Parts: sequence; structure tokens; C-alpha cells
Amino acid sequence: MAELSAVSSFLVAAVGLAVPLALAALGETVTQRTGVINIGLEGSVIWGALGGALGALAAGSYAGLACGVSTGALAALCFALFAVRLGTNQIITGTAVTIGSLGFTGAVFQSRFGATGIALELPTVAALEVPLLSDIPILGPALFNQAAPAYVAYLLAPLLAWLLFRTRWGLALRAVGESPDAAYAAGVPVIRTRLLATVFGGALAGLAGAHLSLVHTGTFAENMSAGKGFIAIAVVVLGRWSPWGVVAAALFFGAAEALQFALQAWDSELPYPLFLALPYLLSLAALVGWFGRARAPGGLGSQWPRARG
Amino acid sequence: MRRSPEIVRGLLVALVGLAVTAVVAAALLALGGHSPGATFAALIAGAFGSWDRFVSFTLVRATPLLFTGLAVALAFRAHVWNIGAEGQLYAGALAGVAVALLLPTGAPLLILPITLVAAAAAGALWAAGPAAMRTRLGVGEVITTLLLNFVALFLAQFLVQGPLQEPRGIFNQTDSIPEAAHLPALLPGTRLHVGFALAVAVALALWLYLARTPGGLRLQTVGASPRAARVSGRFRATPVVWAAFLTSGAIAGLAGWVQIAGVTHRMYEGLSPGWGYTAIAVALLARLNPLAVVVTAIVFGALSAGGGAMQRDAGVPEAWVRGIEALVILAVLATDRCWQLLAARGKGG
Amino acid sequence: MSPGEIHGLIGENGAGKTTLARILGGLVAPDSGKVRIGGRAVELSGARQARALGVAMVHQHFSLVPSFTGLENISLLDPGAWNRRGAAARGYRERVEARARELRLAVELDQPVGGLGVGARQRIEVLKALMPDPRVLLLDEPTAVLAPQEVDGLLAVLRRVADAGGAVVLVAHKLDEVLAVATRVTVLRRGRRVLTTEVADTSAPELAEAMVGSEVAGSASSSRRRGAPRMPGEVCPRAARLAGVHARRDGREALRGVALEVRRGEIVGIAGVDGNGQRTLAAVLAGVQRPDEGEAELPPEVGWIPQDRTEEGLVGEFTITENVALALHGQPALRSGPWLDWRGVGEAALGVMREMEVQAEGAEMVASALSGGNQQRVVVGRELLRSGSLLVAESPTRGLDVKATAAVRARIRELAASGDEAPGIVLISTDLDEVLELADRTLVLVRGRLLEIAPGERTHRAIGRAMLGAQRVGNDW
Repeated sequence: MAELSAVSSFLVAAVGLAVPLALAALGETVTQRTGVINIGLEGSVIWGALGGALGALAAGSYAGLACGVSTGALAALCFALFAVRLGTNQIITGTAVTIGSLGFTGAVFQSRFGATGIALELPTVAALEVPLLSDIPILGPALFNQAAPAYVAYLLAPLLAWLLFRTRWGLALRAVGESPDAAYAAGVPVIRTRLLATVFGGALAGLAGAHLSLVHTGTFAENMSAGKGFIAIAVVVLGRWSPWGVVAAALFFGAAEALQFALQAWDSELPYPLFLALPYLLSLAALVGWFGRARAPGGLGSQWPRARG
Repeated sequence: MRRSPEIVRGLLVALVGLAVTAVVAAALLALGGHSPGATFAALIAGAFGSWDRFVSFTLVRATPLLFTGLAVALAFRAHVWNIGAEGQLYAGALAGVAVALLLPTGAPLLILPITLVAAAAAGALWAAGPAAMRTRLGVGEVITTLLLNFVALFLAQFLVQGPLQEPRGIFNQTDSIPEAAHLPALLPGTRLHVGFALAVAVALALWLYLARTPGGLRLQTVGASPRAARVSGRFRATPVVWAAFLTSGAIAGLAGWVQIAGVTHRMYEGLSPGWGYTAIAVALLARLNPLAVVVTAIVFGALSAGGGAMQRDAGVPEAWVRGIEALVILAVLATDRCWQLLAARGKGG
Repeated sequence: MSPGEIHGLIGENGAGKTTLARILGGLVAPDSGKVRIGGRAVELSGARQARALGVAMVHQHFSLVPSFTGLENISLLDPGAWNRRGAAARGYRERVEARARELRLAVELDQPVGGLGVGARQRIEVLKALMPDPRVLLLDEPTAVLAPQEVDGLLAVLRRVADAGGAVVLVAHKLDEVLAVATRVTVLRRGRRVLTTEVADTSAPELAEAMVGSEVAGSASSSRRRGAPRMPGEVCPRAARLAGVHARRDGREALRGVALEVRRGEIVGIAGVDGNGQRTLAAVLAGVQRPDEGEAELPPEVGWIPQDRTEEGLVGEFTITENVALALHGQPALRSGPWLDWRGVGEAALGVMREMEVQAEGAEMVASALSGGNQQRVVVGRELLRSGSLLVAESPTRGLDVKATAAVRARIRELAASGDEAPGIVLISTDLDEVLELADRTLVLVRGRLLEIAPGERTHRAIGRAMLGAQRVGNDW
């Protein structure tokens, strides 16, 4: 019985840790399907975490989630105005948005709460137990006793898979990513599609950030996103730009992270920084092993319309 | 071979970009309840207030930025999007410190050259993984170099907490490196060390390489158009891309070790406050021109040196400095792009 | 334009044909003036709106998404393909197939179009435009990439569309195609309409003169034969030889047992439809790609005028001087120690500009700021500097105006006739007229194999047959 509960609590942790990755990666999947690679996703995550914290302090935990979604979307809008509307280099712009977001969230946090280092206590989002389903042995509590953002991820994966691959809207969106010229010739508004998809991705990354501050930790700390946005981008690649693949890849990472915590708890003498590096190393290993079979959208990272002169 | 209109354009874009940054930063500071005037005054006093402030703080802080900025500029010239200068810096720092601590002390004259080579090699090695993944597997270097930054950071944490920790075992840092491994002072009486001169020499060498040698021409061709490289230049792009990765990584590796050998004399967690990322702003503001990187590295060195004074004297959190760095990148990108669009419109009628 | 009409729109490159077509197709807004459809003045702001008004367009460059299947590409633009919730409409596939049968278009609906041949892609492009019955069908240079028989098939489809009451605008620069199918014709020159007439009332010479204007018509239309015809039996030294060459491109076998011998002073013309191994043959001849099998005897330096001058022949953001340096940076004469001799390169660049009469503000001008013709002159002049005994020219006049075309062709002829120092020239071109005009002997490259055309059979018809290979072309184009 003890083993069973250990497995169960490991699974609860794994799913919980996978949720922010899955959310951010699902959003970025839509973004990248339009040909935009938003490295500024990390910025949306940290803004989401801070927005979530501020919103939760002002009006409770669910308002915090909503606030995190909006701040994440705003950060992505900032990226999109430069990289999509104006047509600046997507990679450099994304890096700048990440740097700036880490800086400005730190500045806002310090000016609001001081640089004292006393941990902030936030109202957290409680887990919602789904009746009946959560009684399924082992998997039940892991999947159906999670906070609200998890259920958002569950709903989004099939919804996005349907929208992207079964509807006119998805076909047009993917056409923008594969070949913006052809999409334009077919009457698809390329810039608007890319803008909206990028903001959508930012909103989900914001929700992921709010999940970090309001579900995982109940506090906010500078740089607490700790590369989650970057890992989410690796998750998109591993998930081969498909919603179901992305969810699977996110679960894989969640499990790796949960394993790291479990090992730490099991033996505190283990060199924990090496375990912290594990998800990043796994990302790299997976990129090496999987990439050969995957295909990125044809126009990924490209400027449109193409620069002249 | 760089054209004079290009230089004028670069200067104008940089100046307009900085001006826009100043205006936006002032507005944001005011919004955050700080006085822009007092903040800028504290910043400038902290960076340029006295000869010693300038040499011992601004130029010293500019040194790692100069190395990493050059690393990024070189890579970007070849359209190698190396976002991993931060990780390569840590790799270089770790290798330099390890060699300095483990090398038998019998050869004091050799220790500096050996550690410098070790640091450069480690930086290049850290960049070799992404190079192989791009050239052999077609995996873009943006995400791989980024991920390796975190790996390097945790590796450094592990080493300074474990195998390389000071014998007393109190702080998460290494022992002091032997005196023979210290970089001598450049200007007596100040903290400025020979590393700064070394960085300027690297800048000069890179500039000569890019502007005057066939290899430099090849590197830029690969960046602008790999197909033209093959068809018009009749050379294979892959070795050139490798060279760009490795050289860039080596220069970034030097940044880490030179900082230790010249300033801190030991390795600890959080050695770099993100120089590898700031380097992107440094390189972009210089329009990827190595000589201009010398100037822009000093600008960002001043920002960093002034940041401390800003927090102390004007009560503005140092985190603002990173925000301002991001503003510089965005402002320069936007100014450059608008310039491009206006020029195209002027031509197209 | 009236229903049932096929209107030919002709003019030289840069005359404004594509721009006019794009305005009608809703992709470009006119600076002034009005578009009328069905008697009403309309403002077209986008392809979907033009489509809703009954204007459909087939683009000069393919506007298909390469990774999508034929059916996906067709449904992208067609509102009829979707139900109210945005999901695929029931029975759409059957409707597409029925329409294809009706027009006698053989289309492949389930493969990603990127892997299809040029003709197959063009058929999907046409079917896509015709899926909802348009009132006006625009085709921008639809025949540029097709073999002669495929052109006939396309023209037949156009006639069927017109017979069914549609209006067709056919943009072209080849007169004979327009004369073969159009009922009326408009000639554009430098953005102005110079002539609109019934086809029955005009003739090819009249249209040609209207197209190029009287001032250049004389020099362009007189097809000068090459200077000094060689004596029969005279054997010049060999410039290059390929024997049994197999080579791959993107993992697929692109050349299958190619044998070719080129002698100095001769122009070997290689005709063929795009995508039959041309790029690989050029790369092998230039020494850039080593054959997987077979022998290639090549001179150490080969001049290569690549097909794509903006992506391969030049680096757009480099100056003329830098672009010249790109080709010559390996030559010892232009080095001093480790350094590039920029002064020497600069002089070479000025030499190229003088020789080829490049119109530019100077050698420090950025290549992307030059017109297409001047860009090509730089490439040609530069490749001639690679003192080689072999020159490979891939569609060297594609997209150039009359004057630049004449200049480039004249230079190639001159070069072949330059006596003992003359290089052997391999002219790989999809423009059959160009091959027939310049080449001493003609071969056809089809699916990676070279077929020699006997001197007596150098006609459009015979070469066209060879270009399509053994494939039978029935009524289903």
C-alpha cells in the first residue's frame, strides 16, 4: 500500500509539473504553426507569474489567474508588434522581450514589496476534485484532483487538435506558417493571423506563469520562471508541432522533474544541481533523438513580407 | 570594405535608438514613481563621476561584455544565432579555474597562457554541441544554445558546492587561484586589468579578419546566403559555420576566465549577472562591427557600473538595468527596421 | 471584357502585366482608377473579396502551400469547401473530382504538392482557380514552366472555360500562344496600353513591334547567326567530359547515366522542363557536386551563371565589389599574404562593369539595389573572369528585358567565337527558343537522362516530344 501511494503521489506531482509546460507549449504550438517563433515566451511566463501574484493579492486566486493570462498576453503583444507588425528579427526580439521581462518584473516586484527577501504569501488556487473520475485508482487523483489550469490544458489539447487540422480556420493558420506568400494569395490576412496567434500563445504562457506562482509555490520570486518558457519551446519541437504530441512531451518533462524532486527527498546527499540540469539535458537529448523525424513549419522564423533593400 | 554610408547609418541608428531608449526609460521610471532626472544623474555619476569610477568600474565591467559582445557579433555575422554566450562563459570560467587550481605550481610563467587556452577551448567545446546539432541534424541553434546555458549554470553550481569547493567548505565558491594566475593591472593604482587590453586586441583582430581576409568574406557570405556561398563562392558552408560556432564560443569562454583572473580571483555561483545575454544588446547596438563593439561594451559597462549607484543614491532597483538593456535592443531593432522600410519606400516611389 | 472572351495581355518584362493582373486579383490596390466587374465599380481589397466577386487567379509563381495536399490547397480558397462550423463540407472531394473530370484535368489530390512535378502542380493551381465557377479567370504567365504539349492542354482548358461563358485573361510574353487561343489582345508597354485589337485583325509582327516599341524592335527581332562558323571536320580541344554520371539531389536520383562532351568554342544547348535534373547537371559541371557514379573530367575553374541570380549568383546585401570578390577570393593574384587585395578586386569589379556596361552608381553599390538586368550583367561578367575553359549558363536571360537579353546572348555568342581561347559553353535553358537560337547542338534533359537531338530534328514539336519523354500525352492534359 505504501508503494502504491508513493507511485500515486509521484504521478500527482508529475502531472502538476507538466501542466504549466503543456499550457505554454500548446500556445506556442499555435504561434509556431503561423511561422512565428516566440523566444519571448519566457517573458510571458514571468509576467504571468507576477500578474497572477498581484491579481491574487487584490481580488483572490481566480482573479490572479485571469490577471496572469492578461499580463502574459500583453508581453507577447509587445513581441508581436515588433517581430510581426514591424518585421524585426524574431530571435533577437524574443531574447530582448525575455531580458526586459525578467528585469521589469523584478523592478515592479521590488518597488511593490521591497528587496527585503521576505517570502510573499499568496492565496493559492486549490485543487478541484472531479467526482467519480478522481476515484479511479492511481490515475484518478493524478489527473482529476488538480487545480483549474490543468483542466484548461485537458480541454485545449483536443480542441486545438480539431481546430488546427479539421477546420478552415486551422488550414488557413497553417498555410500562413508553411508559406505566407501562398496564404496571402489565398486571401488569408497573414499579419493579423500571426499577431493573434502570438498573443494567444502569450496568454497561455501567462496562465502557465500564474500556475507557477498560485498553484506550485504560493509566492513570487524574481526569475522564478527559471527557463520554463524555453523548455516549453523544446516541448513544442519534441511534440512535433501537434497538440497531442506536445501534451505527451510535457508529461515526459513533468515526470522527469517529479523524479528529480523524489530523488532529492529520498537522499539529500545527492548533488541536486545535477538533477536540476536534468530536464535541460533531457530536452537536448530528445532534440537529438527525435528531430530527424519531425518537420518544422516551412516559414518558421521568417520575416513577412520579406525585406527589400 | 564596410561602406561609409553604412557607417553613417549605423551611427544614426545607434544614436536614435539610444535616444528613444532614454525617453521610454524616463517615462517608465516616472510611471514607477522614480525621478528620471535623479536616476540618470546617479547612473552617470556612478559610471563617469571620476577617473577611478570610469576605469575601475565602467571599464572593468565592460571587459566581460566586450568579450561576449564580440562572440555574439561574430556568430551573428555568420547568421549563427548563438544565444549561448552565457553558458560558454561559464564553461570557460570553470575550465580556467580548474586548471589554475589543479596545475602543479612549478610553472608560474606558463599558468596564465595555459589557463587562457583552457578557457577558450572549454567555451568552444560548449558551442560544439549546438554546432554539431545544427550541421548534422538540422536542429536550430537558438534552443540548443539556450538550454546549454542552464546546464552550464547548474554544472557550475555543482562544482562550487562539491568537487571544486573551497577546503573550508563554508561558502559555495572555489579556493583563491594562485597569484601567478592573476592578470596584472593595466593601469597601476586602478582595478583595470590586462584582460581589457586583451579584449580590445581580440576586437581588432576580428575586425581585420572580417574586413580584410578571404575567410572573413566567406563567413559573411555564409550568413547572408549559404546558396551563394556554394554556387558563387565555390566553398562549403559547413566548415565555415563550424568555425563561427567554435570561435564565438572560445571568445565567450575567455570572458568568464578573464573575469576571474582579473577581478574575482575565485569562482562562485552567479559569477555572471547575464553578460551572455546583455552581449546581444552590445553586439546589435554596434551593428555587429567588432570595433564598434568596443564602444558599445563601454556604454553597457557604464550602465552596469551606474546601476549600483542608481540603487544606492536614487533608490531605483538594479533590476531596471536589465529592463533598459532590453529597451536598447528593441529601440535599435525598430529604428533600423523603420529606416529600412523608409528607404524602400523612397526607392519604390 | 465580355463573357466568353479570351483576352491576351502581352508585353515585355516590366511592362506592367503582372501588376495589372494583381490589381484585378485584389492583391494590390491601384494608386488611382477603378475596377468594374459586372458593370459596377468595385474596390478590391484582398484575394477573398476578389474571389467572392468572381475573379480567380493563377499566379506566375506557384501560390500553393508545398506541404499541403492538392485537396487542402484547393479548399483553402474555396468557401464551398467548408460547412457553417468551419469543418470540411461533406462531399467536397467528390465535387472537386467532378469538376476535374468536366475540365479534363488530371489531378493528384492526396499527395503534398511539393513533391509533384511542375505540370501536375500547375493543373492543381488551375483547378483551384476554377473550383467555384469564376466570372473572370486570370492567368499570369501560366505556360512559362510547361512543355509544349502541356501548353496545348492548358490552352484547351481555357477554351472550355470560355465556351462555358467565363471570361479569361491570359498574361503572356509568348506571342504564338496568345494568337493561338485569344479572341482579343491588349499590348502593354512600360505600364501603358499601346494597343487593343481583335486577334483576327492583327498579325504577329504588328504585335511584336507594339510590344518592344519601334526603337528597339529592329535589333531585337533580327536574329543574328553566330559570327564565324567553324570548318567542317575541324576538331577543337576538349573542355569537359562526363561519362555515366549518376548524382543525387535531396536524396533523390537526379542524374541517371549522363554522358556529355563539350569542346572549346562550341555552345551545347540543353533543353528541358524544369525539375528534370538541370540544377544537378550544372552543379556537377561546375565541380561543386561530385558525381556518385561515373567520371567527370573538368577544368579546374569553371564559370557558372546560375539560374537564380538573387539567391545564388549574388549576395544581395554585398556591394558589386564584394560580389566580385566572392568569386575571385581564391585567386593568388588577389591576395597579399593573408589579406585580400581589395584594390585589385575593386579594379576587377570596375572592369566587369565596363565590359558588361552595368548601369550603376559605382562598384560600391549594393547588389540588391540594381535592376535584374544589371544584376545579371554583373554575374555574367564576373563568371567570365574565372579564366576557365568551360562556362555553364543556366537560363541566363530568365526575367530580363529585351535589351539585357540581347546583351547577354551577344556576349555568349562572342565568347564562343573568340578563337583559340574560347571556352566550351553549356547552355542549360528552359526557354526552347533561346536554345535553338544560340546552340550549335541540342540535347534534351528528361528525368535525369540526356537525349541528343539530331540536327535535322531541331523543331519545337520534336524537342517538345523529347522533353516529355516516353510519357503518353492523351486528351487529359
